[in-house]
This record gives sequence, C-alpha cells and structure tokens, in this order.
Amino acid sequence: MIVERVLVVLYLAGCIGIGIVASRRVLTSKDEYWVAGRSIGTFVNAMAIMASLASGGSIIGVMGLAYSRGIPATLALFAGAVLGFPLASLLVAAPLRRFGRYTITDFLSYRYPSAWVRYLVPVFIVIAFTIYIVAQMKAAGITANALLGIPYDTALTLLTFVFILYVSIGGMIAITWTDVIQGVLMLAVVIGTGCVMMWRMGSPIELMAQATAVAPELGQVVHRPVSSYMGYFVIWATAIPVIPHIVMRVFTAKDAASARLSLNIAMLAYSVIILTACLAIVPVGKIDFPALADPDLVFLKVVESEFPALLRGVAVAAVLAAVMSTTDALLLAVSSAIAHDLLGTLLKNRASERVMTLIRVGSAWVVGALALYWAFSPPELISEFYTAGIGLLSASLFVPTIAGLWWKRANLVGGVSSLIIGALIYIPLELKLVDWGVSAILVALPASAFAMVLGGFLAPAESKVLLDEIGALHESDPVKKP
Amino acid sequence: MKGFFPIRRSEAWVLIALVSFSIVSFLPIWRTKIVAGMAMFGWLMAALMVLSPLLALYVFMRKP
Repeated sequence: MIVERVLVVLYLAGCIGIGIVASRRVLTSKDEYWVAGRSIGTFVNAMAIMASLASGGSIIGVMGLAYSRGIPATLALFAGAVLGFPLASLLVAAPLRRFGRYTITDFLSYRYPSAWVRYLVPVFIVIAFTIYIVAQMKAAGITANALLGIPYDTALTLLTFVFILYVSIGGMIAITWTDVIQGVLMLAVVIGTGCVMMWRMGSPIELMAQATAVAPELGQVVHRPVSSYMGYFVIWATAIPVIPHIVMRVFTAKDAASARLSLNIAMLAYSVIILTACLAIVPVGKIDFPALADPDLVFLKVVESEFPALLRGVAVAAVLAAVMSTTDALLLAVSSAIAHDLLGTLLKNRASERVMTLIRVGSAWVVGALALYWAFSPPELISEFYTAGIGLLSASLFVPTIAGLWWKRANLVGGVSSLIIGALIYIPLELKLVDWGVSAILVALPASAFAMVLGGFLAPAESKVLLDEIGALHESDPVKKP
Repeated sequence: MKGFFPIRRSEAWVLIALVSFSIVSFLPIWRTKIVAGMAMFGWLMAALMVLSPLLALYVFMRKP
C-alpha cells in the first residue's frame, strides 16, 4: 500500500498548495472569494461543475447500487440529475448569470422581498447540505480505511482538515482549480477502466449479454416497483437548477452563454461517467466477482484485479477526489448561506471588510468541525438522508425559482407560500410522520406549484419596475466589439 | 405565451421532448420487456442520459 499512500499524500499536498496560492487573490475580495471574480472559462467551469456533482456516490455508490439492485434502477436514479442539467441550462443559467449576485438566496429574496425568504432559504440550505457533507465525509473515511488501511477516524480527520483548509483560505478559486484536477482524474480513471474492460470482453451490449447470462437480475427491475424510483428521479431533476453549489458555479462564469455551455458540457461528462460505470465496469465485476458481500467494493475489486500498484494508487486518488470535489463545493455553499445570506444581511454596513473576511473563513471551519464531529458516529442510513435533504431544497426552491424567473404573475404571496408549503408538506411525508404511500416529492412539488398559482392570481401582481428588471434578465448579452 | 417571459421555440420543444420522454420511460410496460439482457426501462434511461446533453448542446449551438 506504500505506492497508493504516497500518491494520495501528494494529491492532498497539491490541494493545500492550490489553496495557499489562491488565498493571495481571494482573501481581500468578496467577489473573488464567493464567485472567483466571475472570470472562470467554459471548459474549466464545466469540469468543476461535473466534479462538484459527481460525488463518491457517482463512482463507488453507482457501481455498488447497480451490482446489488440492477442496472435499470440505478440508471433511473442518476438519469434524474442528467435531466436536471438541461432544465438548469435552458431555464436558469442565463438569467441568473445576468442577475450577477452570489447565491440562490440573493435571487429569491430580490424576487420575493420578505424576511421569510431571506432567512428560511439559507436555513434549509444549511440543514440539507450539512447532512450531505456528513454523508460525503463518511464515504471518504470508509474509502480511505478500505483502500489505504488507515483507521476510519484518522482518515476522516486528515481529509477533513485538508479540504476545510483549502476551502477556507482559497474560496471559490481554490475549489475551481482543485475540482478541475479532481474532475479530470475521475473521468480518466472511469473511462480508462471502462475501455480496458471493453477491450478485454467486448462492447457494452456484448458485456450486458454475458453478465446477464450469469446473473439475470443485473438487467431486471426486481427490487421495487418503477414508481418508487420516480421520487429519486424527480428530486434530482428539480434539484440541479436550484441546488446552491451548482448555482454558485453559474455565477462564476464569464457570461450567460459560458454558464449555459459549461452546464451542457458538464452534463455530457457526467453522463459518460455514469454510463461507463454501469454498462462497462459493473457487468465485468458481476462476471468476475459474482457474490461480493459488500457491493460497494465492486469497482475496487475490478481495479485491484486488472491494474498494477501505480494505477491502483491513481484509482484510489480518483475515488477520494470524487468525494472531496463535492464536499468542498458543499462547504463553500454552506459557508455562503451563513456568512453571506444570514450574517451578511444582519451585519450589512456595520462590519468592516476585514471582519467579513474573518466571518467567511471562520464559518467554513465551524461547519467543517461540526460535520466532522457528527461524521465520527454517523447514522446508518446517512446516504438515504442526504437525498432526502436535497429533496427539501427541490420541494421548497424549485417552483419559486422557476416561476420567479419565467411567470409574470409570480408575486410575493405566491413565492413565500410555495416555499413554505413545499417544505411543510415534504418534511412530514419524508419522515413518514404521515404516510400516503407515494414519494414525498411527488406530493410536495405539485402542492408548491398550486400555492404559487393561487397566490399569483389572488394577490396583486408585482410592480412594473420589478417585472421590467426580471424581463431584462432574459435579454441576450450585448455582443462584445472586437 | 402571454403571461410568461419569452423562451425560444426550439428550447421549449427540447424541454417538452425530454420531459415527455422521461414520463413515457416510466410506464410499467418497459419493466418486463427484456432486450440484450436488460429491461427496456434501463435502455430508455440510458438513452435519456445520451439525448439530454446532445439536445441541450444542439439548441445552444443553433443560431437564434
């Protein structure tokens, strides 16, 4: 394991180095810290978006799930996120980039100026993303323990210290640079492994035929009715356009066209990773290792049996990169919800830039330390919880955001009521306090939309000035003169 | 459409096509039909993952 450990240490040192270099640029400017000075190019942003969405679940989790529950059901879960990208690209990216602030809360509290929106939205983000961060940290600890032989608590503390350090001092610029490296590493490892498998055993269709001859359940939908996967599909399809760590990346783009194109390229890269994992790597894993006690180990078993130590080390670094590239973006999003959305509003014009810088850096350390404390003994079903947490954001933010951008009758009453009703219906259904026998999101989203329509028609419309300003967000960027 | 901010026709059609494809993919009929070892439901989900980025790129590249 020496080679693997050396490679991982080099990778972590590189992340810290990037954070230190970036800190020279970001610690003196709010714009640089939260949105990298709005100067990120299309391909860099695309890789960073893909890396921040593709978590440990997109490498280890997707293959373990496909191995144990079958490929069709797994593709259904991840296809929701892929559908979410065109929704984000076509409905949200350009107008939000032209809006040109920092967070989704900035837009919603501008469109629906109410204390409910200004304070509830960041609270929802902090709750949902803290659960998400703990799930990612647990994945990092388990992965490092399984692959490097480091005790869970030690691995967790080391990895958490590294990413809090480079996020807190390097802000969005450090996250962008590290995410690009992590995204390229993930793509290279998954596509490389997939190509080796196809070279060895044939095309994905031939692989599926061979694997399902050995294990027919791999290609069947046997564990649950299809309708139960619809909830996960809808959660991710409606989360991508409003999820804070993706929206923050939209604000980092140079302009609206770049924001849209980077989302489209990220979607293509994400699809390639999921399809390669499910259709090229998992079938080989099922043929070679038909009875794994822990399905999540299928990728590592395939890598172990096919590659020499150096490439195994790169694969281990890629898995940790997948976890860290998501966790760092989540940590910055939670920090922005606390330092910018909540404290930034309360301390407006009362705190110096130096104090605000300390708050920005400090909030990353506080959230990271709390998540670390929780991750030492996380609940068993934390991975189930984090999709439920993302569902809370979908149920409460999707309708107000889309209606706020596109529907002229969307008003304060409709926006606030759709936000609150979406959350109020989603939470008890998701926690099974009330059981209607359907996925919570499939009830909460229509209820949120109904509240928006009712408020829009029963309460007075917004002022012409506000509607003109929203209309301006839909006008194309002026063409730059050469 | 009155009451909404304008969206390009090609973009609206892409959104309608992708959402319709998703709804049709979840129909129970595809669950039991097996092609090349996998339920059609799985192949349709894979097709959605290929179609989404390609259609989104197509409308992006189209001249307004």
